[in-house]
Amino acid sequence: MTHPNFEAQLDAYLDGELAAGDARELEAHLAQCPACTRFRDRRLALRAAIVTGVQTFQAPAALRERVRAAARGTPRFTVRSLWRPLALAASLAVVALGSWTLALQRAAGEALADDVLTSHIRSLMPGHLTDVLSSDQHTVKPWFNGRLDFSPPVYDFAGRGYPLLGGRIDYVGGRPVATLVYARRQHVINVFIWPATRGPNGGPSMRTLQGYHELHWTTGDYTYWVVSDLGLAELQDFAQLLRQA
Amino acid sequence: MESSALARFEAIVLPHLDAAYTLARYLTRNAHDAEDIVQDACLRALKYFDGFRGDERTSARAWLLTIVRNTAYTSRRHHREEKGATEFDETQHSDAVADEHPEAALLRTDARELLGRALERLAPEFREVIVLRELEGLSYKEISDVTGVPIGTVMSRLSRARARLQEALS
Repeated sequence: MTHPNFEAQLDAYLDGELAAGDARELEAHLAQCPACTRFRDRRLALRAAIVTGVQTFQAPAALRERVRAAARGTPRFTVRSLWRPLALAASLAVVALGSWTLALQRAAGEALADDVLTSHIRSLMPGHLTDVLSSDQHTVKPWFNGRLDFSPPVYDFAGRGYPLLGGRIDYVGGRPVATLVYARRQHVINVFIWPATRGPNGGPSMRTLQGYHELHWTTGDYTYWVVSDLGLAELQDFAQLLRQA
Repeated sequence: MESSALARFEAIVLPHLDAAYTLARYLTRNAHDAEDIVQDACLRALKYFDGFRGDERTSARAWLLTIVRNTAYTSRRHHREEKGATEFDETQHSDAVADEHPEAALLRTDARELLGRALERLAPEFREVIVLRELEGLSYKEISDVTGVPIGTVMSRLSRARARLQEALS
C-alpha cells in the first residue's frame, strides 16, 4: 500500500467501507508502520470529537405539521392554529403517563439500569468519554490492569463499522466497572462490563428511556450493559457482534 | 393525495424529516432558510412520490436528502449565503445557538464551537459529505447517489474534509 493513498483508504476502513481483502492488507501495514498508526489515532480522536461535538437538529414541530398538512391537502393555517394546543395537551399526557408507568415498574434492576444510563450521559460531556484513547484492543485491555481486579474482554469492530474509541472506569451499583467506548457514525456506544459473580444480574433485558436504548445480558463470566442513542436494530447488531466475539 | 399513498408517504418519508432538516441547516447555515428548503423539498417529494420505489439501492432517506440537496443548491438564498461563506455572521450564529436543545447547550464547549465553526467554514462540497456521512450515516454508495459524484470522489472528499477539520482543531 502506498502512503499517498493511505489516508483515504484508512478513512474508508474506519467507515466500514473497505473490502475485506484491502482491510486485511491495511491492518498488516498498520501493524508495522508507527506513522500510519499515529495518523489513525488522530482520525479516531477527530471522530470522537465529531461524535460528541457536532449537533444534529430536530425538524421544528410546525414544519413537520406543515408537511403533513400539505400531504393531506389541508389548508395550512387551519392545521397550524389547531395543532399547537392539541400537541401541547398530548405531550403533557405522554409525560404524565410515562412517569406513572416508571414509578410502578421501579425495582432493583431499574436502579441499576438508571445507574448505567447516568454513566452513559455523563460520559457524553466533554472530557469524560475516555480515560484511555486508543482503537487498539492490545492497548486498551492492559490499561485496565492494576486499575481493576478483573481483565475485561476487549475487541475492536472497526472493520464492521463500530470502531473502538477507548475505555474508562465508571462506578455502577457502587463498584468500579470497565467501560468500553465504541462509535457508530455520530453515535457513542458505551459497553459496561463487570464479573457476573458480583451483584444482581437477571436475564437478558432491554429498556428505552429518554431516547437511549439499554441492552443487558450475562454470560458465564461477565455482566454486560450496552447503552446508546443509536437505532435499536443497529444496537442489537452490535450486541450480537459482542456476544460472538 | 389518496389515503393509501398518503399513508405510504407518511410512513416512508416523514421519519427522515429530522435528517432532511439537519442537512438543510448545514447547507444553508440558517434556521429559517432550512425550514423553507425542507418544506419545498417535501412538496417536491410529494409530487414525485408515485415514482419512488424504495429498495436496497435507494433508501427513502437518501432519496429525500437528494431532493433537499437539489432544492438547497437551486434556491437563490443558498447562493446568497455561499458568497459570505468564510465570514462570521453574528445573527446566523446566534440563531444556531438559540434553538439548540437544552441538553445540547449543556454539552457546548469551546472545542465544540470550534469544530462546529470549522465545519461551517468548509467548502460546500466538503461540508456536505461530512454531514451525510457523520451525521446522517449514509453509505459511500448513498452519498454518491445524493451528490451525483463517483464513489471514489466521495472517498477522497471525505478524507480531505476530515484533514481540514483536523487542521482547524489543532
